[in-house]
Amino acid sequence: MSYIHVQGLNKRFIVRRKREKGSLLREKQVIPALRDVSFDIEEGELVGYIGPNGAGKSTTVKILSGILTPDSGEAAVGGRVPWKDRKEYVKHIGVVFGQRMQLWWDVPVQDSYDLLRDIYRIPEDAYRQRLNELTEALDLGPLLRTPLRLLSLGQRMRAELCGSLLHRPRLLFLDEPTIGLDAVSKLALRDFLRWENRENRTTILLTTHDMEDIAALCPRVMVLGHGQKLYDGGLSALLSRFDRTRTVTVRYDGEPDLSVLPAGLGISREGELVRLSYEPETLPTPDLLGLLQKAGAIREMTVQPQNIDRLIADMYREMDL
Amino acid sequence: MRAYLSVFRLRRRLETQYRGAALGGIICQVFFGLILIALYRALYAGKPQALPFPHVATYVWLQQAFFRMLLASDADLMDKIRTGGIACDLCRPVNLYGFYYARILAQKLMGSLLRGVPMLVFAALLPEGWGIAPPASLPALLLSLAALALGLGCVSALENITMAFTMRTLDFRGMQAMLNLLMMVLSGNILPLTLFPDSWQPVITALPYAQLLDAPIRLYTGEYALSRAGGILLIQAAWTAALILLGLAMWHKNQRRMIIQGG
Repeated sequence: MSYIHVQGLNKRFIVRRKREKGSLLREKQVIPALRDVSFDIEEGELVGYIGPNGAGKSTTVKILSGILTPDSGEAAVGGRVPWKDRKEYVKHIGVVFGQRMQLWWDVPVQDSYDLLRDIYRIPEDAYRQRLNELTEALDLGPLLRTPLRLLSLGQRMRAELCGSLLHRPRLLFLDEPTIGLDAVSKLALRDFLRWENRENRTTILLTTHDMEDIAALCPRVMVLGHGQKLYDGGLSALLSRFDRTRTVTVRYDGEPDLSVLPAGLGISREGELVRLSYEPETLPTPDLLGLLQKAGAIREMTVQPQNIDRLIADMYREMDL
Repeated sequence: MRAYLSVFRLRRRLETQYRGAALGGIICQVFFGLILIALYRALYAGKPQALPFPHVATYVWLQQAFFRMLLASDADLMDKIRTGGIACDLCRPVNLYGFYYARILAQKLMGSLLRGVPMLVFAALLPEGWGIAPPASLPALLLSLAALALGLGCVSALENITMAFTMRTLDFRGMQAMLNLLMMVLSGNILPLTLFPDSWQPVITALPYAQLLDAPIRLYTGEYALSRAGGILLIQAAWTAALILLGLAMWHKNQRRMIIQGG
């Protein structure tokens, strides 16, 4: 059996809301958060878990981290059922919630780590070794004696990651770890996750809205919408389904004769630059190239795929999410 | 002007969202009224003059010195429950009741020592009738310290029960206000329990709240004879054990039905 096995998971929530503005009455509404979700993940995989807000991603993570009990369905991680015997189960997992702090706010980071050492009963040697390893990989050295509240968001996220990995969990849940981080911090964080996944064969399930995270880290991606699994496979295969248009930007020597180009390419001019978009399926790229050369002498040219966020937005729209 | 009207309207609407809290507030205030009347009735019916005044002053100082032991809720902990930060703690291989009990205990212990010791030094320097009197005897002092330790264990168990209620209602104010009021009155913080009528004594001293500070203080002043100390400590220990068991059961039940809201 695979390392993570999820079969037919269902979870409903009951929400009470006002019937209408100003009404004193409230009505019950049943929201299906997960509908018959199934998947398998092998040990050492790095899987991206995406979907619009409210798709059921966090619900899945909560169930798999033993916090929430599903209404029906089964799940096993390393042969253990998460919501049974929570205390035993959680020894083997690590969780980072991007928007929730696990370390103590007012005490030096190291003191929080020492508490975690005692919580997970990590032997002192193993603890020292692991802490050194993580401190180096995450560049945390000078921050260990600093209270958490004085750290920047990026530093704090690195410190949180270190805390969640001290006990060498076999499985790490990351819930929007790059939220609010600057470009440098994001890149550093991604490098670290790749390293941890490769060096320690830690299985990672990454929930995010940042498609760059997925593109940079996850060979496999699962898409969730309205509580159902809609896609499971490689990111590029997913994108190619929706990625129909390319943008090409050309700079000509002298004034080009654009009348040779077929209509419907959405041509726009920006000073010397000519920009147009096309669908390689109806107009193969080599054919377009030939046409562009007929229009004039090309000095410089770039072809760009669609912006990944736009693609995902298109995908969500097409999947009716 | 529109901005002020608008914020007025929005806040008014928000207030109607907390119907549970409003109901809690009503119950709490009615309860407060009843308790206060009972308190004054007790004062009128009792014979306060029969008690030597230095005892009363000592009682008051010890109550004030260890005030932090009674009314100190861990704001971090309350926040965790309200905002869902408790999810992080649920991912730890620990029993949450024990984990939080230890937190509460540490806070109450250090909080009251930090404030209590300097306060007692100050109170000892005051003239007789204003200040704190020395303990009845050395054994009385030692026994009262033991009783204080048990009282600390007992009050931490009580607070963990408040915490368990908070997990059910998510808004801790109503329940907490009520439990705090009960604690203030029945632990003797507002009016020393020693001033209550004799006919009340068997009941109020048997309640858990009397175990927190009242029992240790009466051992200190010698109002409880040394021969009764064993029985007093036993009652304290029994309440502490019972409240811990109750809290454990409540947490256990809560954990089964818990939902961490939002992403």
